[in-house]
Amino acid sequence: MQHTFLQISNTSIFIAFILLLIALVPLALSIRSKHEERNAKIAVVIVVIAFILELVYFAFRWAATGHAPVSNLFEFIAMFSIMLIAGYLITYAYYKTKVFGLFAIPISLILLGYGSIFSTDVAPLIPALQSNWLFIHVTTVTLSYGILSMSAVAGFIYLLKIIPAEEKSIRARMLEFLMWNIVVVFAFIISISVMRGVGYQNDFLYVDQSGNNAIAEYHLPSLINYNGAQAVDHVGENNYEPADHFNLGISLPPIIKAHSLNTVVWSVILGTVLYGILRLIFRRRLYSVVKPLAKNADLSLMDDIGYRSVIIGYPLFALGGLFFAAIWAQEAWSRFWGWDPKETWAFITFMFYTIFLHLRLNRGYEGEKSAWLAVIGFLIILFNMIAINLIVAGLHSYA
Amino acid sequence: MELKEIKCPHCGHVNSPGTQLCQSCGLMINEDYDKKKIKDVMRYDGSAVRSKVKSQSIFDKIWIFFTSIRNGVIIIALIALAAAIGTILPQQYFIPIGVDPEVYYADNYGTFGYLYYKLGFHNLYSSWWFVLLNAMLALSIIAASVDRGVPLYKSLKNQRAKKHPSFFRRQRLTLNSDEITKENIDKIVEGLKSKRYKVTEDGPHLLFEKGRLSRWGPYINHTGLIIVLIGSMLRFFPGMYIDEIVYVPEGETVEIPTTDNKYYVKNEKFILDTYDKGSGSVFDKSLAMQGDLASNYQTNIIFYENLSSDVVGSEPDLKEIDKDEIRVNHPYKFDNYELYQSSFDNSSMKSMTFKLVDSNDKQIGEEFTVDLKDPDSDYSIDDKTDIQLRAFAPDFLEIGKKGELLSQSPVPRNPAFIFQVNNETLETPEISLLQIQNTDEITPNNEFKVKFVSMENEIATVLTLKKDLTMHMIGIGFIIFLLGVFIGSYINHRRIWINKEKGLSIAAHTNKNYYGLKKELNSVLNEHGVDSVNDKDEVEHNDRMKG
Repeated sequence: MQHTFLQISNTSIFIAFILLLIALVPLALSIRSKHEERNAKIAVVIVVIAFILELVYFAFRWAATGHAPVSNLFEFIAMFSIMLIAGYLITYAYYKTKVFGLFAIPISLILLGYGSIFSTDVAPLIPALQSNWLFIHVTTVTLSYGILSMSAVAGFIYLLKIIPAEEKSIRARMLEFLMWNIVVVFAFIISISVMRGVGYQNDFLYVDQSGNNAIAEYHLPSLINYNGAQAVDHVGENNYEPADHFNLGISLPPIIKAHSLNTVVWSVILGTVLYGILRLIFRRRLYSVVKPLAKNADLSLMDDIGYRSVIIGYPLFALGGLFFAAIWAQEAWSRFWGWDPKETWAFITFMFYTIFLHLRLNRGYEGEKSAWLAVIGFLIILFNMIAINLIVAGLHSYA
Repeated sequence: MELKEIKCPHCGHVNSPGTQLCQSCGLMINEDYDKKKIKDVMRYDGSAVRSKVKSQSIFDKIWIFFTSIRNGVIIIALIALAAAIGTILPQQYFIPIGVDPEVYYADNYGTFGYLYYKLGFHNLYSSWWFVLLNAMLALSIIAASVDRGVPLYKSLKNQRAKKHPSFFRRQRLTLNSDEITKENIDKIVEGLKSKRYKVTEDGPHLLFEKGRLSRWGPYINHTGLIIVLIGSMLRFFPGMYIDEIVYVPEGETVEIPTTDNKYYVKNEKFILDTYDKGSGSVFDKSLAMQGDLASNYQTNIIFYENLSSDVVGSEPDLKEIDKDEIRVNHPYKFDNYELYQSSFDNSSMKSMTFKLVDSNDKQIGEEFTVDLKDPDSDYSIDDKTDIQLRAFAPDFLEIGKKGELLSQSPVPRNPAFIFQVNNETLETPEISLLQIQNTDEITPNNEFKVKFVSMENEIATVLTLKKDLTMHMIGIGFIIFLLGVFIGSYINHRRIWINKEKGLSIAAHTNKNYYGLKKELNSVLNEHGVDSVNDKDEVEHNDRMKG
C-alpha cells in the first residue's frame, strides 16, 4: 500500500511540473494576443490543476511515510516551490495579475528542479524531528516564504518596467547583474541534472578536516579538489580502487568544501558562457529582452502587491520561523534559541523585513526603492534555504 | 526656533511648541516644521513630536538620536550584520569541548580564524558589544514610541469635529459640492453611520471615525519587543535560568542538582532503537545508503522525592513519585524544571572479567568479575584458590614511589590491577600487575596467570536539566508583538470630516488602504447620486504618467 502511495505521489509532482511548464505558453500569449482573456483563463486552470496535483503529492507522500513530507532538503524545497504557486494563486485571486505567473512559475520550477538534485528518497525521521511541530513549523515558514517571494516578483516586474532598456546607470547594471545570476542558477541546475542523468560520477578519496578518509562525489569534472585527493572508483560495499579521473589540479585544504566549490565554479563558467551566447543572440541586455513582459504591468499595483505581501508574509514568518520554531527548539533541543546558523539567518531575514517596513512606512521608500528591497529579501531567503545548508553544517543540516 | 507655545490665529487654541497642525481646528500653524516633508503630515496628526523640535540641550540631542527612525534602522541593520558575521565560522559552543579556542581557530581557519577569534567573533552573541547594540535597539524603540506615541495619543483623544477649510484641502480624499439637497446630505450621513463609524457632531460639523486601535498597533508591537528584550536580559539574574547536565548510569539513582537535595532520579533503563533495515518498507532504499539510523533515544526514569531533604547530613529517604519515559521531544516536567534526553555515553567501563590459568594454559576454577567502580578485594574461584586485588587504579597513570598505583582520574578508562594469587600448592603467593594489553610479573617465574576474558561497558544516559523562567515572559512579549503587527497592519483607522454649512464638504483620511476607504465612501455617495471623491494621489499619478 505504502509503495503505491509513494508512486502516486511521485507521479503527481512530475505531472504537476510538466503542467506548470505548459501553463507558461498560454500565459505568455495572454500578454499580447487578442484572446488574452481566454488564454489567461486556460493558463490559470492549468496552474490550479498542477497545484492540486502538488497537494496530492504532499498528501500521498505523507500517507506513505507516516510523517509530513518536509523532513529533508528535497521535501523542504519542494514545499517552498509549492507555496510559491500558492502565493501566485492567492495574488491572482485578488489582483488578476497575469504577468505575475510568468515570473512566479519559472521560479517555482527552477526550485523544484534544484530540489531534485538532492536525494528524493523518503527517509524515516530521526528522533529530533519526530514532532507535530515539524509540520506546523515548516508549513508556516514555507507559506510565508511563498508570500514574501510574491513581493520580490512584484518588485522585479516593477524594476523591469521602470528601468529603460538602454539606460547607462548603476540600477540598470544591477538589474542586468540579477539577470546574469538567474542564468547562472539555471545553468547550475541544468548542468547538474544532465550530468547526473547521464551517470557522470567521479569519486575522489581525500582526508577530511578531522583526519578521516572521505569520498567526494564529483558530478562535474574536477577543477578544484582537496589537497592530496586521489581518483578512485567504487567497487561495492566500502571498497575503492585507484582510477584515472580528470583533475585540473587546483587543490584546497579540506576546510573548504572543494566539491561544492567546484560545482559553483562550473555554474559560474557555464552560466557566463550561456549568458554570453544569449547576449550574442539578442544583441542587447537580457533584461531588455524580458522587459516587454512587464509592459502592461500597473506600477502602483505592483508596488501595492509588493507591500501587501510583506505585511502578510512578515508576521507569518515571525510566527512560523521564530515563534513556532522557538517552541519546538525548546522541546527538542532544550533551548528555544541557540544562534545556530539557520536560526541566525531566520533572525536576519526577520530583521531585514523589519527594516523594509520601517523604511517604507517612515522614510517613504516606495516604488523603486521598495522594489529593490523586496528583491534583496528574496535573495536572503534563498541564501538561508540553500547556502546555509550547503556550506555550514549546524543542527539544521538535514533540511 | 524658539520654544514657544503657538496660539492658533483661527480658533485661538493654544498648542504646545512644535505643533504643526492646530490640535483643535487643524489649521497649518507652523510652516517651519519639517521642511524636508516626511511623507504624511497626518501621521501624528500634526502634533508636536518632541524630537522634531530643535533644541540644544544634551538630553534632547541624545533623545533625538534615539528617536530617529533612521538611526533605529541603522541599529537593526548593524545587529543583522553582526549576526551574519557570527555564522561565517562556527561559534565557540560548536567547536569540540576542551580545545583551546585560540589554537583551534588558528589551526583550522588560518589567519582569518585567528583574527576572528581575536576580534571576539567566536562568542559574538554574548559579546558586550552585541548586547550593547541590543540595548541601544531597546532604547531606540522606547524613545521613538514615547516621542510619537504620547502626542499622537493626546491629539487623537481631543479631536474636534470642526476643522479649518485648509485642513480639508490638505487631505488626500476630498469632495466639495453645492448641488446636493439637504435631504440627500442627511441620507449620506445616515449611510456612513451604518458603516459602523463613531460619529461626533458639532453643529454642521461632523467627524466619522473607526478603527482608531490601528494607530496603536506599532506601539503595541514595540511594547511586545521591549518585553522580549527585557526577558532575554533576565537570564543573567540568579535563579531565573538553570542549565545542567545530569549524568545517570543505568540502574543508578542520582540527586538532581540545584533542587537542594529534594529530588532524585533513577535511570531504570536506557533505550537506543534503530530503524530496521530491509523490512520491506518504503524507507529501505534510503536506509541502505547509510549506517544505522536512530529511531528513538529513551530513558525510563523513576522520579523520587527526598523526604529528609531538610535534615542536614541525613541519609536520603526516597519516596517514589513518578515513573516516566523521557524521549527526544518529550521532556519530563516537574516544578519549573524540565529534564531532556540529551545524549548517552557508553564509553566508560563497568566491569572486567578474568580467569586464572596454570602454566599449561588450563583454567583453574571459575571466572571472576571485578566491578570497576567498587571492586571487592577477594575473589574465591575454587576451594583451593583465591585471588586478592592488592591494588587498583581506574585510570592508570604510573606506579608510585611506594609501589602503589596512581590514577589520573576516578573514571574507569584505563584500569590497572595488582592481583595476588593464593593457592595451596604455592609456597608464596604470586603477584602480578595487569593492564590493558599488558601483564607484568612482580614475583618471578609465576606458575599461574590471570587472564582478561571480557569487559562490560556501562551505559549512561545524559539528561539536560533546564529551568528557564524567562521563557514565558519572552513568549508573551512575542505574542504581544504579533498582535501589535496584526492590529497595525490589518485594521485601518478611517476618519471622514463633513462640513455641511455650505453645501457639502468632505475630507477623508486613513492611515492605510486608501483604496478601501475610497470604495466605502464612494459606495455611499454614489448611492445618493453624488460623484466619487477626488483622490489627490491619483490626480498626481495621472499627471506624472502624462508628463
